[in-house]
Amino acid sequence: MRTIALRLACVLVLALLAPVQAAPDDHAGAIAALADVRAAVAEIVRIENGYAVGHGAYVRAAHRAMNALVGRRDDGYVSSFGDPGDGIGTLGHLDTMLDQEASWRWTPAIEGAKANVLAAAENLQSALGQKEMEEYEADLTRALANLALVVGRPSQDGVLGGISGALGNTTLGVPAGAASVSGCALPAHAPAYGVVAQRLVYVALPRHAASAAIPAELSIGRVVVRDDDIVLYTRGGADATAACRGATRLQRTRAVAATPATPPYTAAQAHDGIAIYKHSCIQCHGADLQGTAGPAVAGTEFLATAKTNKWTLADLRATVFENMPFSDPGSLTPKQYAAVTAFLLASNCYPAGTAPFPQSASGRLAAVKLGPVAGAKPANSKLGTCAAK
Amino acid sequence: MLRRVITLAAVAIVSLVAISRLNAQSAWPTADSYVSADTDAANWILPARSYTGNRYLAHADITTANVSTLKKAWATNIDARGPLETSPIAWNGTVYVTSSHNDVYALDAKTGAIKWHYAYKPHVIAFSANRGVAIGNGKVYEGTLDGHLIALDATTGRVAWNVVAAHDTTNTFYTMQPVPYKNMLLLGASNGDWGGIGYLSAFDAATGKRLWDWKTIPGPGEAGHNTWSGDSWKRGGAAIWSGIAIDTTSSTLYADAGNPQPDFLGTIRKGANLYSNSMVALDISGATPKLKWYHQFIPHDTHDWDPAMPPVLFSGSVGGTTRSLVAAGDKGGNFWVLDAGTGDVVYHLAVSTQKGQDTEPNRKGDIACPNTNGGVEFNGGSYLPETNAFYVPSVDQCGQWTSPGTATYVSGQFYLGGAFPKLIGPSSGYMSAVDIGTGKFLWRKHLAFPQIGGALSLSSGVVFTGGVNGDFTAYDAKTGSVLWHSATNQTIQAPPGSYSAGGKQYVIVASGPAGINFADPRFAKGAPTLEGTYSHATKATITAFALP
Repeated sequence: MRTIALRLACVLVLALLAPVQAAPDDHAGAIAALADVRAAVAEIVRIENGYAVGHGAYVRAAHRAMNALVGRRDDGYVSSFGDPGDGIGTLGHLDTMLDQEASWRWTPAIEGAKANVLAAAENLQSALGQKEMEEYEADLTRALANLALVVGRPSQDGVLGGISGALGNTTLGVPAGAASVSGCALPAHAPAYGVVAQRLVYVALPRHAASAAIPAELSIGRVVVRDDDIVLYTRGGADATAACRGATRLQRTRAVAATPATPPYTAAQAHDGIAIYKHSCIQCHGADLQGTAGPAVAGTEFLATAKTNKWTLADLRATVFENMPFSDPGSLTPKQYAAVTAFLLASNCYPAGTAPFPQSASGRLAAVKLGPVAGAKPANSKLGTCAAK
Repeated sequence: MLRRVITLAAVAIVSLVAISRLNAQSAWPTADSYVSADTDAANWILPARSYTGNRYLAHADITTANVSTLKKAWATNIDARGPLETSPIAWNGTVYVTSSHNDVYALDAKTGAIKWHYAYKPHVIAFSANRGVAIGNGKVYEGTLDGHLIALDATTGRVAWNVVAAHDTTNTFYTMQPVPYKNMLLLGASNGDWGGIGYLSAFDAATGKRLWDWKTIPGPGEAGHNTWSGDSWKRGGAAIWSGIAIDTTSSTLYADAGNPQPDFLGTIRKGANLYSNSMVALDISGATPKLKWYHQFIPHDTHDWDPAMPPVLFSGSVGGTTRSLVAAGDKGGNFWVLDAGTGDVVYHLAVSTQKGQDTEPNRKGDIACPNTNGGVEFNGGSYLPETNAFYVPSVDQCGQWTSPGTATYVSGQFYLGGAFPKLIGPSSGYMSAVDIGTGKFLWRKHLAFPQIGGALSLSSGVVFTGGVNGDFTAYDAKTGSVLWHSATNQTIQAPPGSYSAGGKQYVIVASGPAGINFADPRFAKGAPTLEGTYSHATKATITAFALP
């Protein structure tokens, strides 16, 4: 067992240090998504700043902006108005990026961008139904505010960074086929992208071509000029240095056992979940969680099924938050949903921790695979369930 | 000791007499006895009594004059972990029923005493439910919640064989009652909300070996394939899950394929989505089925309004002309009458409130009627030749659907592209009698609770049905007046059946917990019934009624 833990530690160290390349078309997808947003913004700005006369021009502008955002596969797309975007739409690109098993450092930012695209689309839809010019403009202004968040800022990592932040600070900024090296050291050759723990630390460019090749979505924190190349460090580079140090320490000592990704939840959440389960779930899933009219939700049978079907914590979350309670989905608050999910995790013998189960969707949950819990000591050995307290 | 020997001898003689009285009737139903099942007053050997799918009894001791004296003859409790949907099979003094979790019971037809009980422990994917067994060749057959087909020894309940019958057991299960036909067992798979493609299978009744599958969604190169955009057909649903009918003279099988998937997101499966929400007529005279015709009831459905009612074949008079007809009902609230030979619509009418049916679920949520569990449900209804009327219970509810605009397939989970709807407004039901001659209501009763208990009609002019509040009711087929009722105090979502034993006619029905789809908030407070109040049922019971 000890050997396995050590091996896992090594794997983790390698995983942290090895440059992780996003799926090849994610970078291109993000760039295209950004272009579609900008096309939509241009349509809105043009009509707001112009002097169009007549209802038709306003309707047309809102429709064209909508088309660029949602893409032709969406119901909101009306082809007769034309599309200033590429037809796939920001939403189409973002959905493709999010529709994958792997979860990346940039996933939360893209999820946030998607939520803002949907909000902008709602506002455009609302604008189309307005009769008063003032109301129309107010809706368009709200849509613009949403779109500003979709574009985001290269200087900001995480959800607030939007698409630009993800391009400028994470591996999403690395084009398909580009050389990607460890960001913990300067590169041997340029061009190269330095990454660590899925952060984009620097972009190294040959000096002769540098001025033309600087990526648009880069917030430069520090520049190192060398003989043949210049190395543009991102603003997030400082964090990366810490990650490099941590990784080195881990590598040196090899003593810290790596733990596989475990579900986040607190004991207090699980406790709160007991009452919610009894009120909203017990009727179909049973007092022993083995299912009555519905399926088992904890214990040996549930975890075996979860393993066979390759369920992740994100799948569990989606089912609980979006489809349950069966007769009234969406009727609990996010806090209640998080609590009852914590209760299920506790009942499945996952250990409680300090990080709470998130109330909003998080890309990280897709990395947590569900299955029998190693070292679990079920309170009910026959059913394989633990008791939430 | 001597006395005991004598008693045993007496039993032996009685048994011999009983066997000789059965005469040519063999120990188990033959292919011929299934074909003439509707003429056998004593037994009930097919899911809906005969291959026509019509729960109708041509000879009945129970009449409009004496039904008011009907009394409970026996009641037997069985496994109550979920709702009972079982359609009892009765043969030679034994009644075979199932529980929601696939437990099988052989009951004494006269006393309800348990002769044997087979307990099965299936993995439940989503809903625990089972609609009953088939019998034949000394075996009892059941499709299970984990996608198996099992055969039990009918006299002992011991397992004869058990085969994995579903192609993908992570997203497919069986709730349908197997239908014996010739040497086959016909069984449809439930995978139409979990990302599968519907199929009806035929298995060799002797071994469980698969003989054929008929897929409900045309693949590349097949007619109708272009009614699905892109690759959406690959997880298009259209499961055949409720029941089937067979015209044995023309070897035509009638089945209804269910809703398309993802249930609530139409944008990623543009087109009519054949053969979802369609009745299909299949020629089963050859080695594999061939499509004769189809009729799609609701093209491009986005509300899970599948035609849940099993088809009913009957010969009815329309505008003075006798025609071969087939009836259908969908969860969208329509009752349909089609020409059985061509699939042409003779007429259809709304048996539940309909509203907002053309809107698709979106991010904000759309309100439409009926709700997903609304309209005509999986026990359908019954045709009575004596009144030329069709008796069909229905659910009257509205719902609010939401769809985030995306759908993700996760093995073993719902594939919906949204969530099942939230009940909006009141929940009630109807018992309707449709005059087949005119396509208009002969009578209808608006009831406080959803009605999904199917119907059993007797030539004497009595129609039985049950409601989710547990009322089991006998109506006068001509007028709709209530002739008799019994409060089971458990939800009825199983169809009524009938058999005779010891010279006495019994009417039998299963009742139990409400389950997932028909739990009603009113049950918690004590819901009104014809005889008192109903609260959440915790037991599951098979009840037989008889005249005194």
